Amino acid sequence: MKLLARRLPSGVLLFLMLAGLALVAFWTPDAWAQEAPGQVEYRSFPVVGSRVVVWVIAQLHLMFGAFVLAVPMFALTIEFIGFRNGDKRYDDLAYEFTRLLSVSFSFTASLGALLTFFLFILYPRLMEYLVSIFDWTFMLYACVFFLEAVFLYSYYYGWGKMPKWLHLVIGLCLNLVGIAIIFIADSWLTFMNSPNGIDAEGNLLSTWDAINNFTWMPINIHRLIANICFGGSIAAAYGAYKFLGAKTDEERAHYDWMGYMGNFIAIAALLPLPFAGYWLGREIYAFSQSLGIALMGGTFSWLFIIQAVLIGNLFLAANYYLWLSMERIHGAERYRKFTKWLLASITVCFIVWATPHSLVATVEEARAMGGSHHPILNVLGVMSAKNTAVNVLILTTYLSFLFYRRANKEATVSWAKTGNIVQFGILAVVVGVVIFLGVYGYFVEASVRIGLSIPQVSLVLFAMISITIIDVFMFRKAKILGPIEWGKIPNRAQYALFFIAITFAWTMGLMGYVRSGIRQHWHVYGVMRDTSVDAFTPTLGYAANVVSVTVLIFFAFIAVVFFLSSLAGKKKLDAGEGTSS
Amino acid sequence: MMNAIKICVFTVLVAAFYSYVSQMVPQTVTYPPEDTELGADMTTEDLVAAGEEIASGKGTCLTCHTVSGETGGRFPDLANIGLVAAERKEGFSDVEYLAESLYDPNEYIVEGFLPGMTPISDPPIDLNDQEILAVIAYLQSLGGAATVTLDTELRWQSEENSASASTAAQASASAAPSSENLSGEELFTMYACGVCHSLTDPTPLLGPSLYNVGNELSTAEIYEAIMDPDAVVSEEFVAGLMTAQLSAVGFYDKISSGQLKTLVDYLASQKGGS
Amino acid sequence: MNIIILLVVCAGLVALRFVPKINILGWLAGWWIAVFVFLRWGIDPPLPTSIQGMFVAILTLALLAYLSANSAHFRFVLDRFVAFTTQKKYTIPLLAVIAVLPCLVALRVYFDVTEGPAPPLSSRTIHPPPPTSIEVAGNTIDLVNDDNPYRALETEDPAAFEEHVENGRRVYYENCVYCHGDDMAGDGLFAHGFDPIPANFQDATTIAMLQEGYIFWRIAKGGPGLPSESTPWLSAMPAWEDFLSEEDMWDVTLFLYDFTGHRPRAREDHGGGGDH
Repeated sequence: MKLLARRLPSGVLLFLMLAGLALVAFWTPDAWAQEAPGQVEYRSFPVVGSRVVVWVIAQLHLMFGAFVLAVPMFALTIEFIGFRNGDKRYDDLAYEFTRLLSVSFSFTASLGALLTFFLFILYPRLMEYLVSIFDWTFMLYACVFFLEAVFLYSYYYGWGKMPKWLHLVIGLCLNLVGIAIIFIADSWLTFMNSPNGIDAEGNLLSTWDAINNFTWMPINIHRLIANICFGGSIAAAYGAYKFLGAKTDEERAHYDWMGYMGNFIAIAALLPLPFAGYWLGREIYAFSQSLGIALMGGTFSWLFIIQAVLIGNLFLAANYYLWLSMERIHGAERYRKFTKWLLASITVCFIVWATPHSLVATVEEARAMGGSHHPILNVLGVMSAKNTAVNVLILTTYLSFLFYRRANKEATVSWAKTGNIVQFGILAVVVGVVIFLGVYGYFVEASVRIGLSIPQVSLVLFAMISITIIDVFMFRKAKILGPIEWGKIPNRAQYALFFIAITFAWTMGLMGYVRSGIRQHWHVYGVMRDTSVDAFTPTLGYAANVVSVTVLIFFAFIAVVFFLSSLAGKKKLDAGEGTSS
Repeated sequence: MMNAIKICVFTVLVAAFYSYVSQMVPQTVTYPPEDTELGADMTTEDLVAAGEEIASGKGTCLTCHTVSGETGGRFPDLANIGLVAAERKEGFSDVEYLAESLYDPNEYIVEGFLPGMTPISDPPIDLNDQEILAVIAYLQSLGGAATVTLDTELRWQSEENSASASTAAQASASAAPSSENLSGEELFTMYACGVCHSLTDPTPLLGPSLYNVGNELSTAEIYEAIMDPDAVVSEEFVAGLMTAQLSAVGFYDKISSGQLKTLVDYLASQKGGS
Repeated sequence: MNIIILLVVCAGLVALRFVPKINILGWLAGWWIAVFVFLRWGIDPPLPTSIQGMFVAILTLALLAYLSANSAHFRFVLDRFVAFTTQKKYTIPLLAVIAVLPCLVALRVYFDVTEGPAPPLSSRTIHPPPPTSIEVAGNTIDLVNDDNPYRALETEDPAAFEEHVENGRRVYYENCVYCHGDDMAGDGLFAHGFDPIPANFQDATTIAMLQEGYIFWRIAKGGPGLPSESTPWLSAMPAWEDFLSEEDMWDVTLFLYDFTGHRPRAREDHGGGGDH
């Protein structure tokens, strides 16, 4: 424990002290009575303004937080796999992922402290109100945060120094505490979007209802999945960074594998993400139609075109990486001829998804179209088409994975041919029905149309699960055509990993903006108005620039994290092997 | 080192690319809604205009509803709402129906649509009763003629609001005692309508006789005939004359929505011929 | 959708298969050009430039991904590029490329700069909402339920129907042709003076998707007095009720459909739809 306290980075202590101080200050306003509490509603921040400074810090905190919460999840999973099958590679990989954590955790804590600080200084009225609603949860949060620190450092420093089962239990506790942290923090911000548990004047009726508001669970789930994506992609970027700097073939092989694993985690988590996002959207509509329309139909509808570009790029890059990865596998040539079809499918879906409903056109063009809606594009711009495109996109990416999985295998079971036909049949039927439902959506009323996405999603999930099950059985005891030559991958594949990580970070920034932005001129939607100078909603271009700057700052920090982590690794190598069991 | 530089450049390029893409989409700034000024001495036209402004601005009605006559939207189209409002709900006048749809939207759902509208009297839209009256006036004007005034009382209005409204009305009444409580007959005289129109005799003067106007024209048509005299002009009369006269005496600037309603009601009661 | 362009594009791609020794660069260029041509000319009405740009950008990205997702392809193209820039025998084409590239950029700049001023775009509803009934010369015409009174003659008495169409032809060429044009494409002599331009009746989105009552309303009442909601509406269409008889207006409506070959939109059952 002494050791732990010495190593506990100052950031955590700083955060806890500041958070405690701020809370005490607002619970006992007498202490600050000279400053006339409740009089100051806003304070200004020089040059960039209060909004931007809180925005950037909150986003950075969120990105680091996402990373710190996600990495233990798959680190634990990988460690467990290694524990079960006894492959030391997995244990090393899990440890390497965890090594990124300790520095990141200090960054997260420091940014959290900074954010709390700025919020209380710059938005006293809002924070006073939020404290009045969530009083005890702030205290709980601080305690849980402390627990997280304890578990995280004992997980990291205790690696190989304690019985494996105990280490796994600590890892499990770390994850549970991490999830508790994100759930508590989500309750505050979702309350601002969809307030609940208060009366018409905004007075608290029930803290639990305020926590358990409309968007709390959807945001929790959405964020958990997105965190895994994000964490995976950053870990993959770390692998890519090490790969590019690797001196030996051994190192190259190791970091190629690490990059692949990180990317696999990211993409596997990406596949269900649109569904979680869809659920969130539905809950927002259920809470308030106006909020929903502001999100999808009003000012922010163009934001989702940008999002479509981002997600389209993500899927394209993920598939691209898989195709390049197949070059290191003997036997993968057999699947090369499918690349162009997969690519065609991705391109078409990308185009459909990125087609806006109302177009930017000059007067002549509008005249030629006979209005602001193009007769053909109009068809692609609506929800039916986009849902269908996403589902097909997910299936296509799944196919790339399937080919990768089979690349060097040849089924030896007697029913291999039948199995293939069944798999193909399932796929063809599902794609057919998904497209049919998409087209059918144009001919029914909106109420029916919204419901159609559920069978679409279920079918896609069904296809992925059933095909995987058949595949697992079909390729048992398969003939292996050749080894996977880890490390034999072109550098541009590593850049694809960077691209995925940057795009994820950027998407997170953009989604963070829209979640916050749909409240428009409200701090707490419908309850507390934003009367500051920043109450207006900026242009998308402006928001995008803020997001870009945030992403660049984040990667500058991440570079520091990578650098420090590699220093820690060096020492361990010098000290010699044998610490992990 | 070379790799680090390459990665840095790559990161900056990708971020810049997304920033660039975001500059390509329409750039709009949305400002918080401003409160529309509503005064007791507004004319019906002003009220409709104010209602229209609220509908597209603070009330955010047009975010969901269209006013184009096209069908198939997510929400009912409002192009002819002034006309159909009276027939929507049994036992409800158009004003009552519209008021209910605004204060309590999920009471009655137009067939083929889903409930989903929030009461606009509550946050986040949070219009006050006066603003809602303006919106009703605007909705009535879509396909029909506005009949509500800021003094119209609706049973959905909250107690304190109607109280404050009546004090506001009283305040304005005391400020301008001469004009607001006049009867239709007094208004007819005050605006010198009798110079051109006879009320007692079917014989036309400069303009057509209003002896039997209550039977000949509907309330909406009378309203139109006053506010837009050239819309329908019988052959034997000179078009443009009434507009010029009324504009010259400042009728359109002076008459308030309350007065106009009184006047129209008074004319509608002229059924001398029957 | 322009079928001819689509066929030409497909034929071009098929023809590419028979080009001897075609390499990956040829294919990529072929696909890029094919899709570009289709997006540019193959869709009718043409896509706005902003959308074309976006689609072509996605296409370019996808083709580049295809090229570099295969190391053999990638190396081949790199070798070609290196050869082109270093080998002696390519000196002249290389110089040509170096000379042409800045010219293309300059040309682009030239076009951007010399482009005339364009009014800002405001979204506008092409078909304003009709009232349920209108007054024409003392008669009330119910736009919801009444049909063209002479439409029934088409089946009942073709000869009389033909007379009405002939009268409509006379009316059209005496009054409407100046703006709506000889073949009703909205390109008459005066058409270019107006914004919005006169309606193009040949287009499938004008009279073909409207009922005759709507056409009658537009003819009778014209531009003045159109509802102001949703859109700025500045139509210069005169109110023809002041100049034409009711029968003339119905007849010219018949003629519009007869000449263009469109059919009026079928009347829908208005039972409780509630959208109007």
